[in-house]
Amino acid sequence: MKDEKESDLMSSSLILHPSSLLGHALASGRLRFGGAILLLIALGCVGTLPLTLRHGNPLHYDRQNPALSRQGPQTAATAQWFGMDLLGRSLLGRCMLGGAISLGVGLGAAIISVVLGLGVGLLAGYRGGWVDGLLMRMVDVLYGLPYLLLVILLKIALERPLGKVMPPMASNLVVLFLAIGLVSWLTMARVVRGQVLSLRNQPFVEAARAAGLTEWRIFFGHLLPNLIGPVIVYATLIVPQAILQESFLSFLGIGVQQPLPTWGSLAAEGLMPALNTVNSHWWLLVYPCVLLAVTLLSLNFMGDGLRDVFDPRRESAKI
Amino acid sequence: MMRLAIIPLGLLALLAVAMGWLGRRIDEPPADFRFINSGDIRTLDPQSMSWNQDIRIGYAIYEGLYTLHPQTLKAIPGTAERIDISNDKTIYTFHIRRNAGWTDGRPVLARDFVFAWRRMLEHPGDYTYLLDYIKGAEAYRAAYARFLERPAELPRPDFASVGIEVLDERTLRVSLNHPVTFFPDLLAFPPYFPLHQEAMKPFEQVDPVTGHRTYDMRFMRPPHLQTNGPYRLAAWDFKRRVRLVANEHYWDRANVRSPIIDMIVVEDNKLGEFLRYEAGVVDWVADLAADIAAELLAQGRRDPSRRRQDLHIHPAFGTYFYTFNCLPRFKDGRPNPFSDPRVRRAFAMAIDRRPIIQNVTRLDEQPAYHYVPLRSFPDYPPPRGIPQDLEEARRLLAEAGYPGGKGFPRLKLTFNTGFNHGDVAQIIRRQWRDGLGVELELEGVESGEFSQRLHNVEYAVARASWYGDYDDVSTFTDKYLSTSDNNDSKWANTDYDRLCARAAREPDPAARLALLSQAEQILLEECPILPIYYYVNRSLQKPYVTGIAHSPRNLVMLKAVFAQR
Amino acid sequence: MLKTVVWRIVQFPLILAIIYLLTFALAWMAPGSPFEAGDRKIDPMAEKTLREQFHADKWYKFLGYYPYRILRYGDLGRSMRYQGFTVNEIIGQSLPVSVALGIFALSVATLAGIGVGTLAAVRRGGLFDWLSLSLAMVGISLPSFVAASLLLTLFSVHWPVFPIGRFESLADLVLPGIALSLIPMAYIARLTRVSMIDVLSNDYVRTARAKGLARWAVIWKHCLRNAFLPVLSYLGPAAAATFTGSFVVEKVFDIPGLGQHFVNGVRNRDQTLILGAVMVYSLFLMSFNLLVDIGYTVVDPRIELSKDEG
Repeated sequence: MKDEKESDLMSSSLILHPSSLLGHALASGRLRFGGAILLLIALGCVGTLPLTLRHGNPLHYDRQNPALSRQGPQTAATAQWFGMDLLGRSLLGRCMLGGAISLGVGLGAAIISVVLGLGVGLLAGYRGGWVDGLLMRMVDVLYGLPYLLLVILLKIALERPLGKVMPPMASNLVVLFLAIGLVSWLTMARVVRGQVLSLRNQPFVEAARAAGLTEWRIFFGHLLPNLIGPVIVYATLIVPQAILQESFLSFLGIGVQQPLPTWGSLAAEGLMPALNTVNSHWWLLVYPCVLLAVTLLSLNFMGDGLRDVFDPRRESAKI
Repeated sequence: MMRLAIIPLGLLALLAVAMGWLGRRIDEPPADFRFINSGDIRTLDPQSMSWNQDIRIGYAIYEGLYTLHPQTLKAIPGTAERIDISNDKTIYTFHIRRNAGWTDGRPVLARDFVFAWRRMLEHPGDYTYLLDYIKGAEAYRAAYARFLERPAELPRPDFASVGIEVLDERTLRVSLNHPVTFFPDLLAFPPYFPLHQEAMKPFEQVDPVTGHRTYDMRFMRPPHLQTNGPYRLAAWDFKRRVRLVANEHYWDRANVRSPIIDMIVVEDNKLGEFLRYEAGVVDWVADLAADIAAELLAQGRRDPSRRRQDLHIHPAFGTYFYTFNCLPRFKDGRPNPFSDPRVRRAFAMAIDRRPIIQNVTRLDEQPAYHYVPLRSFPDYPPPRGIPQDLEEARRLLAEAGYPGGKGFPRLKLTFNTGFNHGDVAQIIRRQWRDGLGVELELEGVESGEFSQRLHNVEYAVARASWYGDYDDVSTFTDKYLSTSDNNDSKWANTDYDRLCARAAREPDPAARLALLSQAEQILLEECPILPIYYYVNRSLQKPYVTGIAHSPRNLVMLKAVFAQR
Repeated sequence: MLKTVVWRIVQFPLILAIIYLLTFALAWMAPGSPFEAGDRKIDPMAEKTLREQFHADKWYKFLGYYPYRILRYGDLGRSMRYQGFTVNEIIGQSLPVSVALGIFALSVATLAGIGVGTLAAVRRGGLFDWLSLSLAMVGISLPSFVAASLLLTLFSVHWPVFPIGRFESLADLVLPGIALSLIPMAYIARLTRVSMIDVLSNDYVRTARAKGLARWAVIWKHCLRNAFLPVLSYLGPAAAATFTGSFVVEKVFDIPGLGQHFVNGVRNRDQTLILGAVMVYSLFLMSFNLLVDIGYTVVDPRIELSKDEG
């Protein structure tokens, strides 16, 4: 019930044709700004993959140099700009790869959430009745379960079978975003359901039915396009959430497998070295956190911007 | 709309009241000594104590027939004032002090020990095997376990078959299977503590079929818990603090230096412990976080004027090592290359421990080339350690069928997450890769699952550690007997078993240690384990505190601790 | 309306039962034992005896024993890890602490969030919009353990404004309370901004302004109430989560609250404690959601009609 109120805010954005979306998108300041920063960072992280993944390259994420352990930032070599970690590895390189992996995990989790949330939400909203009731009670129950237990068990359950079909590092990442995605789809389902419910009863749907269009045509022609909006907005907002979830899991020690870095695991590792009152190795925490903060803010701004886009009526909200 | 503003304001007002109520402390006297004991205690039941912080409190509230000297930590007479030992050293007769009393005033009697030890045998705990030295104990334990499974068919085993006799109210006689030189030390240890049967009676549950008695754990909470040591448990505020108050009826009451001791609980918060110490909230941090200790040590090195005199770092009675799975096949059926001792030895000889100690742990630990911590037993002749020799390692690996690491399967290096085991693993993995050409995957596993994997031998090579429990080499060597439950590498060597068994029966201490040294030699040649470094104990202690022993065993006799502010 | 409320309350036990069973199944399947002590392998006999004592040797024994005791005596059993304490005691001691902290945090989050969100909506597109929102969203732009640790280090160590390690007076609540409020504050600020913008574009607002009402009077009297609705719906689950404690805040600030038991219970495989904590959390969640739904009608009695007005 209450989530319909939230999605009602979106539902007023009914009849937006996809081609005008782009125009609106580019007009939103938030979206431009957030998108630009995100693009910059993403390009940086993904673009440096050939460097961070190549053995022998100074920016390689696992190039250990015991002599340089815990060295502060130096301008001498590019790899030393962000300083070195306790094993003498380039923090810059690890931040770059960490960004790629964090964004990857976020994206993966968002995709899974979309698939599941869209599926369940559509089913519940369109079918209505007992199907709706049952699915929504299931969502209620899942909300009540201990998240951490779910993640731990999912990881354990999925690790073995996945380990057989793909190399261990890949399987660890897949398990991670599966586990996070499988607990993030709930809000998406609720939102989609709310949207479908309110759309079902709209006059234009009635009109379409009266005109003799089949259910499928109505579905694909009218419902789905209007779902794209909320789905994209929430998907954009799930990415930062997923990145933060992974950082929490890393904090607990069950995040990404070492030596692979993510921004969250770098922040968790850097916490003690940076914040102990005796001798602070500040770079180990500051750089990953700045990258995290900027990226997450950008993503959140993008999400807000997209929300603005899908409700142009709000342009007039100035008093 | 104004109406709604009342809600948050009202809540805040309620909150202020609630906080005032929550924070009220009934006027209580301040403690004479306060310390942080690395987390909360799990249990105060001697039968199930195994964590060091529990054992520290255990030594404060209980006392065995022997106790430990506060400074040397050697076994000295405790609740027993006189001990007669037979010539063949297998029969001990204990005479309990007349003035030894429980916290409720009742005198300590021989039957208190019998009650507790019998319970240990009938209701086993982690350390029950330490009672196996007593004649008939192991047999009784097994027979009783079988009886519990099939009470209708089997007879109840007779406790009289165990070599524990009550000669009179205050005299106890114990018969051993063979001489045990370190038996006094064991008698000081928690599994041999006495228990107050009447105090536990209200919590007793008797099984109607078998007559087996179990006790609801509430008995260990104040005010129900009655103990016989220097202190009684005055308060146990879950996750906040434990208060110990001197036991009026303890026989050595005059020598209990601090009448009231508070143990403050700071769980899993490294910086928090340190900050409290700096703020003067506590006088002693028993197990300072390794990171903080390392930073303090490094700071002192860089700038000698800032060297901390109150930081104490000493070698500990434990070893950090990697353990290899020695079974011929893994659980999934694949052949295990580590079942070949040459492979294990190659891996062991190929690593350089220095980067680990310099960059990861940074506490000046001694690199370990032996299993039993060097120099922890003055009379123990150490065997030849595992040499560090990369050439030889490569040669061995080639001889075993993996020249240059070719053909070696991509196995996993398993460790538990949350400490710096991952960092150590990353270094070692690199060294094996660069030195031997072998590529291993890291597998950081959450603690609960890790314990299970380790004990069920579901790993290829894993991180492990072992601390000694009592003052004898066998506390280390017993772990790798083929029959030991704690042998999680499943390494089995009949010569090793034979030597250890002979040593167990050997009356001459020097000869015994020589035998154990030969046994360790075999272990170090076959390398079921890869010793890496010896642990160190780290603590912060205010300069005005006296009485804390800085011994590798990391124990403290709280009765001797005094804070002279 | 009373009918719906009653109907919802009637559904509580069923949902709680399902959550209980599912949580039990998950906890049961997790590898590892609550009785194991790390490096030392537990004696199989000892483990068996302990399991029997806790009615945890077979799943049907567990389910046969504990739910009955919960329903009959409200007794959640004994903690498997902290064997001297019952789950009731543990929760009883830690829940008030978490609730106190949660109330503080949520109040701060709501007041600050609504304030910032409103201002950002009113001055939409301006510098204030961006800056204030960025600040408010610190909570969801940094991992919580970083934000909390930074707060601790800055305000307890570098500038010793707040004491450490006590939990006795209102002052001790401030720093952890602020740390805990960061995440809800971020969401509330965003939600307020979005819905405020929506409301501000309504015709009746224009009408009110045209009639000559001052800007802030309009906002206060008309807009806040309607804009508050999505915030209200967020407050339900937010309150449930905040009141049952946050593991990170409790760990960083050493607060003996309930949040740590969720995480540590799972890590320790302490099945009775996990189940107890989850039951408490679910009860909170469902109650708060119900309260929120009731609150909807209080905030706006015309709630059914408002759908068509937009």
